[in-house]
Amino acid sequence: MLLSRVLLRPQLALCLLALSPAVLFAEAPLHQRIDQAIAAAIPDFAHQSASPATDAEFLRRIYLDLTGSIPSAAEVRAFLQNPSPDKRVTLIDRLLASPEHARHLATVLDVLLMERRPDKYVPHQAWLEYLRSSVAANKPWDQLVREILSSDGADAKTRPAAKFYLERQAEPNLLTRDISRLFLGTNLQCCQCHDHPRIEDYKQAHYYGLFAFLNRSSLVVDKKLNMAVLSEKADGEVTFQSVFDPAKVTKSTGPRLPEGPPLKEQAVEKGKEYVVAPVAGSRSVPRFSRRALLGPTLASAENESFKRNIANRLWALMMGRGLVHPLDLDHSANPPSHPELLKLLADDIAARKFDMRGFLRELALSQTYQRSSEQSSPGKEPEPTSYTVALLKPLTPEQLAWSLMQATGLIDAERQALGKNATEAALYARLSPNVTPFVKAFGNPPGQAQEFDARLEQALFLANGAAVRGWLTPRPSNLIDRLGKISNTDALAEELYLSVLTRVPSAEERKEVTDFLTVRSKDRTAALQDMAWALLASAEFRFNH
Amino acid sequence: MWCTYACGSSEHTISRRGFLAGAVGGALSSLTLDPFTRPAFTHELNKQQKRVLMIWLHGGVSQLETWDPKPGTKTGGPFQAIPTSVPGIHICELLPCTANIMHHLALVRGLNTAEDDHSKGAYIMHTGRRQEPAMKWPHLGSVCAKLLGSTDNPLPGYIHITPRGNGGVNSEDAAFLGPRFASVSLSDGHAPANLDRPAALTEVADQQRHEFRVHANQRFLRSRRTAQTEAYTNSYDQAAQLMRKRDLFDINKEPPCVVDRYGRHDFGRHCLMARRLLEGGATFVKVMHTNYDTHHENFDFHIEQLGEFDRPFATLIDDLHDRGLLSSTLVLVVSEFGRTPNINRNYGRDHWSRAWSIALAGCGIKGGSVSGKTNAEGTAVADRQVNGGHLFHTYLSALGFNSKKNFYIEQRPIPIADPKAAPIKEVLA
Amino acid sequence: MTTAPTPKIDPAKTHLLKEYKHDSPLLGCRFDPSGQFVFAGAQDNNVVRWHLDSGKKVVLTGHKSWIRALAFAAGPHAERGDQKLLFSGDYVGRILAWPVDGDQPRPIRILEGHRGWVRALAVSPDGALLASCGNDHLVKLWSIPGGELIRELAGHACHVYNVAFHPDGKRLISADLKGIVKVWDVAKGEAERELDAKILYKYDPSFRADHGGVRSMTFSADGSLLACAGITNVSNAFAGVGNPLIVLFDYKSGKVKQQLRPKTPFQGTAWGVVIHPEGFIAGVGGGNGGMLWFWKADNAQDFFNLRLPNNARDLDLHPDGRRLAMAFFDGAVRTYDMG
Repeated sequence: MLLSRVLLRPQLALCLLALSPAVLFAEAPLHQRIDQAIAAAIPDFAHQSASPATDAEFLRRIYLDLTGSIPSAAEVRAFLQNPSPDKRVTLIDRLLASPEHARHLATVLDVLLMERRPDKYVPHQAWLEYLRSSVAANKPWDQLVREILSSDGADAKTRPAAKFYLERQAEPNLLTRDISRLFLGTNLQCCQCHDHPRIEDYKQAHYYGLFAFLNRSSLVVDKKLNMAVLSEKADGEVTFQSVFDPAKVTKSTGPRLPEGPPLKEQAVEKGKEYVVAPVAGSRSVPRFSRRALLGPTLASAENESFKRNIANRLWALMMGRGLVHPLDLDHSANPPSHPELLKLLADDIAARKFDMRGFLRELALSQTYQRSSEQSSPGKEPEPTSYTVALLKPLTPEQLAWSLMQATGLIDAERQALGKNATEAALYARLSPNVTPFVKAFGNPPGQAQEFDARLEQALFLANGAAVRGWLTPRPSNLIDRLGKISNTDALAEELYLSVLTRVPSAEERKEVTDFLTVRSKDRTAALQDMAWALLASAEFRFNH
Repeated sequence: MWCTYACGSSEHTISRRGFLAGAVGGALSSLTLDPFTRPAFTHELNKQQKRVLMIWLHGGVSQLETWDPKPGTKTGGPFQAIPTSVPGIHICELLPCTANIMHHLALVRGLNTAEDDHSKGAYIMHTGRRQEPAMKWPHLGSVCAKLLGSTDNPLPGYIHITPRGNGGVNSEDAAFLGPRFASVSLSDGHAPANLDRPAALTEVADQQRHEFRVHANQRFLRSRRTAQTEAYTNSYDQAAQLMRKRDLFDINKEPPCVVDRYGRHDFGRHCLMARRLLEGGATFVKVMHTNYDTHHENFDFHIEQLGEFDRPFATLIDDLHDRGLLSSTLVLVVSEFGRTPNINRNYGRDHWSRAWSIALAGCGIKGGSVSGKTNAEGTAVADRQVNGGHLFHTYLSALGFNSKKNFYIEQRPIPIADPKAAPIKEVLA
Repeated sequence: MTTAPTPKIDPAKTHLLKEYKHDSPLLGCRFDPSGQFVFAGAQDNNVVRWHLDSGKKVVLTGHKSWIRALAFAAGPHAERGDQKLLFSGDYVGRILAWPVDGDQPRPIRILEGHRGWVRALAVSPDGALLASCGNDHLVKLWSIPGGELIRELAGHACHVYNVAFHPDGKRLISADLKGIVKVWDVAKGEAERELDAKILYKYDPSFRADHGGVRSMTFSADGSLLACAGITNVSNAFAGVGNPLIVLFDYKSGKVKQQLRPKTPFQGTAWGVVIHPEGFIAGVGGGNGGMLWFWKADNAQDFFNLRLPNNARDLDLHPDGRRLAMAFFDGAVRTYDMG
């Protein structure tokens, strides 16, 4: 307790940060050290920063970030009325343990790793289930990555994990690019032909060092197994030249991480290179596999880029922006907004053995995360790297779809219909097809990272499209049905705002609802639909704040 | 990030995000990343209300059956050449209506794009560049949407009217210019999806719910306004404006005799829709006519396809001219390549990019001009050889731009057109 | 023509007799009624005549476009000063009349036949009428002695590909791109009925174009059977992916008697068909190379076939009943002996 008072002073906080992480770990939880680092970066941070988020703000934000959807009106009421001082921590823990969290984080990982590529070789359902069960079991990130990078698709039990390779046709250049981007936070794409012209840290040798893990691998449709699997040869060396090099010097490399040592390759007796020898129409398995080295080498606490990448991405997931931004351009000329903090986070997640759930918990507990998004100087957008104000995060296509289903009461109606069979899995199975049109309208083109875009086609989809319109049609126990049964406009306004915007309406808002219903007294149901739509289409709904 | 080298390796494309290295600020949407707030480029030209019509003859139309006939030669095929409204210019007999409006058209007959692959040839003709592994170039449509369009135009800047089955937004063709300038495909000339207000929603009710939404936004954005929230709230205004222009997409608003004049078949209808959109303020409209990839029975199929193309195209040019729009509308009639002079065993012609032709008209184009010649049998360009880069320069020059200028992405200059090429002055007015 | 007793005809023994070479791909070929010559229409806008025995080649110039349609006028009405006539039709729509004999035939009449291609010509059995058809959707009847147009038969809604007179001379058959076969009363100039060869037509939805048509058409000598040849099963019109088919109609009833197909799958079009007086049907195809097939009318599969040197585009039967002539893509007419 004494320590926490001392820590309020920025200078001392800085001194403490200079101590080794091991010492700090023993001293203060991660979430406090996060807040110290954030505060230390801005003079007069206390005055510059926004207040903590209200219960309502926090509630909506944590639900979206941990479960991918807004809460129900009942859950909002319960939380707001809950007097317990620990309710936020309790809620965080409850959500992290929920099946909805596993589903949500699995979806996030799916979009991150597969970037909405078509499902040609591994059905999406199988892959998502693999991710969901991994998250539910709190499988560490490094283990997950090792599994993904070592499955060849031949064993039915591990085949879903091979989707990362298979849907990319096991093409070594594409894999090198995506592995460097997604697992190391370094986009080495330009280094295929030369050292990166602008980024000194990214070298052609780095590219080909990664490439060398994969150059012997290929996709084969194995006739015996009757499916596409990875095949690997026992030979094949990697050489490269820079297109910028007039002398055209040819270099070579074996498998190695960027800035890592060359890997020792096992010598194999001549004539015994293969466990399964190459035959047309089937895969070959070498005795010594380069590809098998990739997972263990790359996904390790010793790999600085690997831990920085996951720490940065999970930070971005919760906070709205990576400390390194963009997420795949970590290099010395693009420093993180808070270099020491990133190092702290990277070391922390490695020290806790890549426990993502524990890490997310710490992020959620921080004041930085729980800060309000309300700008102190209205209209003046603060510097996002300051974290003086929480950042707005546009809902992902999936979050938007699920939140709309929740807000309109579709999920509640389906839950009622399923009765005692209303498990998360059952609800997901019934409702996930509704997500597809949203992915189509709001999702990134295949092979590209998800980004926010505001196109009029999306506005037309939300304004005139059948999906939302259908959900606003009254149906037993859905939003419009419930609202239709409330005659007191005050109570109606409350039910509306709690259901859609996860908060109680202001006096001004209650009046607006009353006025609207008065003007539209002749077609009350339509009026309810229109008000609900207006709030669903509002910026407040579209963004996670 | 861009390479001036064609690295020659596959899977080496940079997404638009590659440009955002080191960018600060949460406002990272392309809307605030305006590469044209550089002194090198001005927006003055936007005010002159120019537009572009691109007719895409999909599959590779035969230049010998259109713009560069060689009757009576081993390669010429059975069709005759007919005189046109321009003395000295002959085109294939399959284009009689087009022959009558030749004085509006210019021909480039010395085209050598050296690319016989459909998608690569299409890439060259849409972007003015060869496909490079490290760089994605934007389509002409996206470039024109950017240069000619204005932010308050509710119509999508780059509209693509396609035959049945292809619809939606194709954000990749805008490349580094951003998805805002991506093409919006109208499948079979249907209006964009969800353009109609739902039947049960009256105009008044729609207005009321929008007001409610706007009030909600005003309250929220008092203290949470960002570039992204701006873009989002604005998209509804854009949508509403586009809904008000819904009639532009309905050709049945035209008198039946006009619909007849264009022809009651897909391409005829699509040309008429293109005219309505251009008149209604569209910046760039591409109309696809398919298909011309006649490896088999080239002559029968060109009778059929050009029979469909000829009249609506000529009607469209005539109408644009009559309405005083042609002089401010650049028109191009292009394909991914031409077809072989050699006639194969199935009366077909195969892919041929070595010596072929395209046609231009309208804004900045000298009607009745011809650039380039092929030899007697059409097997090589004999005079004034040009490629896709020259065409791109020509389009931009015709629209009044200095085609040697740069885009600026993250302070990096990127030539708007291939620096190794230049405008084809012979066809420019 | 030889008067020695000819050996029995056995299609299974069909072999190449002679090659007659031209330097431009050929579209069509016909033996003349006297059996001395074979004529061919070429892509160099020429009609070529070869004397079968000597091989002497004469090029008939006068057309301005490709020629596929060839027909002969024989019989008293055909003769103009003892000349027998060849009619050839081209793709600018002209029909030229030539003397069959002579060292260097020149056109003796030009008919401005059709707007667009003349696709086929046929002469009435009595030699009085010339029927033509083409891309202007019309069938026309001309007087052979006078050369004037007698009648225009309208009704087809697309390119008309073939015409043939019934051996009794009273009916004219015309067939089009969409597989519609019309039977016309010659005297009245009216369409009486239709036969359905639509199996030889396809609208290709991916390339958005019509493909097929009755590419070759012929009656049996007694007029009881009508054979229509073309392509079917089209899955890719622009790559020519489809199979040859000859539809054999019972002329009187109009019903399909047999669909003659190659036993071994072949990608391409049936470009020529003849019905032999002995009852078998011969057809040639071109696509992935060239083939010759022989069928019996009661069996859908060929009983014999022969690979040809390259794409064959037309087929004719010699008056002697044993020789076949084919026009090829490589510019040659090849004659084959059946036996």
